[in-house]
Amino acid sequence: MRICVGAIFGVWMLALAAMSGRAAEIPWSFKPLRSVSPPNGHSGWAKTRADLFVEARRTEKGLKAAKRADRRTLLRRLCFDLIGMPPTAAEVHAFQDDPDPDAFARRVDQLLGSPQYGERWGRHWLDLARYVDTTASWLESTASAWLYRDWVVAAYNQDLSYPDFVRKQLANDLIDDCNPKDNAALGFLGLSPNYWKELQLPPEIIKGTVADEWEERVDALGRTFLGITLACARCHDHKSDPISQQDYYALAGVFASIRIADRPTMSEELWAPVAKAREEVAALEKKLKDLKKKKPKDLKEQTARLNAKIKLIKAGTPHYSVPTVNGVEEAALYVIPKTNAHGTTLNYEMGRARDLAVHKRGDPNVTGEIVPRRFLAVFNDSKPKLFQRGSGRLDLADAILEDAKPLAARVIVNRVWQQHFGRGLVGTPSEFGNIGDKPTHPDLLEDLSHRFVANGWSFKWLHREILLSATWQQSAMNQASKERDPDNDLLARMPRRRLDIEAWRDSMLKVNGNLAEIVGGKSTNLKDTRNNRRTLYGGINRRDLDKMLAVNDFPDPTAHAPTRNVTITPMQQLFALNSPFMEHQADSLARLIKDQPDKKRIAFAYERLFQRKPTKNELRIVESYLTDANDHPEKWSRYAHALLSGNEFLFVD
Amino acid sequence: MNINRRQALQTLGAGMGAIGLAATAGAENRLPFGAHFAPRAKRVIHLFMNGGPFGPDFLDPKPALKKYAGQRPKGADLRTERPTGGLLDVPFKYQKHGQSGLEMSDAIPMLSRHADDICVLRSMYTDNPNHGPALLLMNNGTMTPKVPSMGAWVSYGLGTENGNLPPYVVLCPGKPVRFSILWNSAFLPSKHAGVYINHSKIDPKTMIPWLSNKRMEAKPQRSQLDLIQALNAEHLAIRGGADLALQGRIEAMETAYKMQFAAMDAFDINREPESVRETYGKSHFANGCLLARRLAERGVRFTQVYYGNSQPWDTHRNHDPSTRRLAMDIDQPCAALLEDLKQRGMLDDTLVIWGGEFGRTPVSENGNGRDHNPNGFMYWIAGGGVKGGMAYGGTDEWGFKAVHKPMHHHDFHATLLHLMGIDHEKLVHRHAGRDYRLTDVHGHVAHEILA
Repeated sequence: MRICVGAIFGVWMLALAAMSGRAAEIPWSFKPLRSVSPPNGHSGWAKTRADLFVEARRTEKGLKAAKRADRRTLLRRLCFDLIGMPPTAAEVHAFQDDPDPDAFARRVDQLLGSPQYGERWGRHWLDLARYVDTTASWLESTASAWLYRDWVVAAYNQDLSYPDFVRKQLANDLIDDCNPKDNAALGFLGLSPNYWKELQLPPEIIKGTVADEWEERVDALGRTFLGITLACARCHDHKSDPISQQDYYALAGVFASIRIADRPTMSEELWAPVAKAREEVAALEKKLKDLKKKKPKDLKEQTARLNAKIKLIKAGTPHYSVPTVNGVEEAALYVIPKTNAHGTTLNYEMGRARDLAVHKRGDPNVTGEIVPRRFLAVFNDSKPKLFQRGSGRLDLADAILEDAKPLAARVIVNRVWQQHFGRGLVGTPSEFGNIGDKPTHPDLLEDLSHRFVANGWSFKWLHREILLSATWQQSAMNQASKERDPDNDLLARMPRRRLDIEAWRDSMLKVNGNLAEIVGGKSTNLKDTRNNRRTLYGGINRRDLDKMLAVNDFPDPTAHAPTRNVTITPMQQLFALNSPFMEHQADSLARLIKDQPDKKRIAFAYERLFQRKPTKNELRIVESYLTDANDHPEKWSRYAHALLSGNEFLFVD
Repeated sequence: MNINRRQALQTLGAGMGAIGLAATAGAENRLPFGAHFAPRAKRVIHLFMNGGPFGPDFLDPKPALKKYAGQRPKGADLRTERPTGGLLDVPFKYQKHGQSGLEMSDAIPMLSRHADDICVLRSMYTDNPNHGPALLLMNNGTMTPKVPSMGAWVSYGLGTENGNLPPYVVLCPGKPVRFSILWNSAFLPSKHAGVYINHSKIDPKTMIPWLSNKRMEAKPQRSQLDLIQALNAEHLAIRGGADLALQGRIEAMETAYKMQFAAMDAFDINREPESVRETYGKSHFANGCLLARRLAERGVRFTQVYYGNSQPWDTHRNHDPSTRRLAMDIDQPCAALLEDLKQRGMLDDTLVIWGGEFGRTPVSENGNGRDHNPNGFMYWIAGGGVKGGMAYGGTDEWGFKAVHKPMHHHDFHATLLHLMGIDHEKLVHRHAGRDYRLTDVHGHVAHEILA
């Protein structure tokens, strides 16, 4: 059905395994976390424990670290990393003049405390969660997808511990004494891609589509939370990792026991009357629709009567308009032939769960033994614990965090590292199995993961550990490192990074004085040049991705995206040169420039965008351009446009 | 351009394509493979009859349909999506054409003049009878919507012949069902995704996003770009002068600037002589075919022309009159395209493909319609290294199921890549722990049809 490992690597691994008569080897990442003590530092370069690991490896290879970046570069880098936008000139100058030895640490804390931190880091998570604002049309959902996005943002801002973050996304509704508001977290599952099932087709075919959906869920779950690829075990045992086909169906059974559904954000008792009222209104609305088609003589009167009824119900039901969220509910799905007719019925047994039979070679119409719902066997020395509570979603979350704790911790720590350095310590952030990259600094990953868990799985703790390190504070300039270690495996410099579309666009809004600092809410239209909300709030549609996002490497929201591609294409530059959005931004900046006294105008823009003065060369280049432009009314706008579309505004040192 | 930069660009090889890839971050990506052997076709024009046409209406005579009309003999009772009735005859008459004597129906009289260029694939089949999945199968190889489309694979494998234009263009006077997933690049770099263009208005400015600057003429824009580039050069120099990403963007800015004019020309069919416009006709589909030729001529690697919005070939009712109308609409542009390519000496290395996501049933639905049929259907291809005047494979006597040399869509893809000089088993991309390819783990090249 799908290439698994296939042609190049897997085949010989399989051959090896077969020859030696044993199953695939247990990957390093599945093993318990090792407690490691850091190497001794000598040079005084190291500022944190993490640095000691980096220094040891680097000096072993005879490379010197890059110099510490200057304060302007550092604060800019810090702001882009934590909030996805540059600092103001005043902030940079204050930092440059701050004699406090904790000046940098204070800024880290301040930024981590800003609501814009969650907006930045929430989006990194949404890439993994394949977030969308518009679900498939046939689902007829009236839920507010954006509540999931806002929940993720708030979770980062509140520094929700990672275990809580995971448990709520997979099973908030099953947690004792849960806060029903947190049902928004179920969007991880509730916004999963949904495949069209033409129910006129026979069940043999529909079973295939349903199995494809289960595979999608297992794949997203495995790659997001465990950093492993489970989907190939749909057809056969995993070829390079110790994951059996039984393991796959043990997990797929969880997804066969839930159904995508709109969920309330209040307790079931409070919601019950609302649900009833909504059903009544839906029935009345259907009647209205039918009436319009039939057009009886007293259409007006009948319509008025129905509308009045609807109004009455809405007004008489407290919380009627409280939004629902895209979640899941407990229901076992059976695909059966339609009774006495051509076609298929999707039979959901509400509140029930089911175990799946192995699909031989992945074919849902050729089944084998039934596998009870349980976690991956490799993580339990003895017998794997069976999932007992309902579909098993909460058991699954707990197993990820307890049985597979070392793996789960390494994977998420690596993701945070990746966002700070452009690449993870493990270069394949969602492939920690045997065919994935090995960590460049294994002991560092062990130590950070170990301490991350010990510090309550706190993201903000981890950010501080990384940001206060001498490693992260290096300059991007280090010729020897570039030549001898082009991939920067030894971390002897900071890689220069291109901003993603969100940070690029948001930065523009900010420096041009346009940014609307509102957190959360319904999605907005990115085509509207006057949309001043952060890019995070732009509506995302799987069927029709916004063109600006699409050309600028925004990931396909149909699938889990562990890294952003960084491509450089002419289509992107057409956007930079010609789009109404850029023209509008250039005009905004030009207005700010023109408010300045004549002599300060060029430099003002440099302060605004880059928090520095222009160099002599830059001044000469710009002055000569402006002189040639004579008194063209749009010359300042053109100058502003040039700065906004230049490389310095797109790349961070 | 300073020496370092020029050297850097030379080391990278072939212009923008290579730079785009070199600038790609992440260890999960790899360099392209290029052609594995000499290509027969350098570019593809895929005329996509969305909705699914019925082969026996055009290039696959089935006299048994007349004989058994209204009946449902054994073998003609395959189950499809919807309830169906007895066999439904084809209203068109067949004749032998050209030196090859290829049998073609009178539904497509103008195209019949090209019988000797056409290779009919009569035994195509695929795995799903529903539009969405079948569109994905035909375009992306598998049903799950997260793998690259064939155009993206070809662009990834071969790069582009013209850095001033996108390598993969999708034309449709509207939106086909499933839309952009059908030409996505998925885990391949995004520059390989098809650039979708609604060509229902033929002004290039309305077709390509941000193609032209609404405020500046070329000259002031050039001076603005010079300003940008001078500042970019300064920025680069301060940073040591060798950074592939910074240099790549400087280069891409230049390409974009040139593309404004190159695309204005390439996408403007009004620049064709009136006589040429008349040869093609002036329907949306005719405009699409002519545009495709202009793009092919300028080095666009893969062009798809979707026949129309939604799925016009989906004839569940009134199949015959609809088909007559559709056939009239495609006949002239298809014939003109083949003729035009031939006159320009391009037919030899341009592969023209005609077909839908599946075919239709020989049995009736709703009395006078035809249901979806993935079990056996017809494609025709021409040019680009295929034998003309031949029919390959065959369906059963009703045209229901491929029985003779069945050609699965994976086989079709393997053959297409082969014609472009690519070994379909070697064009792979490692992603999420697996090697992916267009043909999954399947696909056989149909060597018999190679010229």
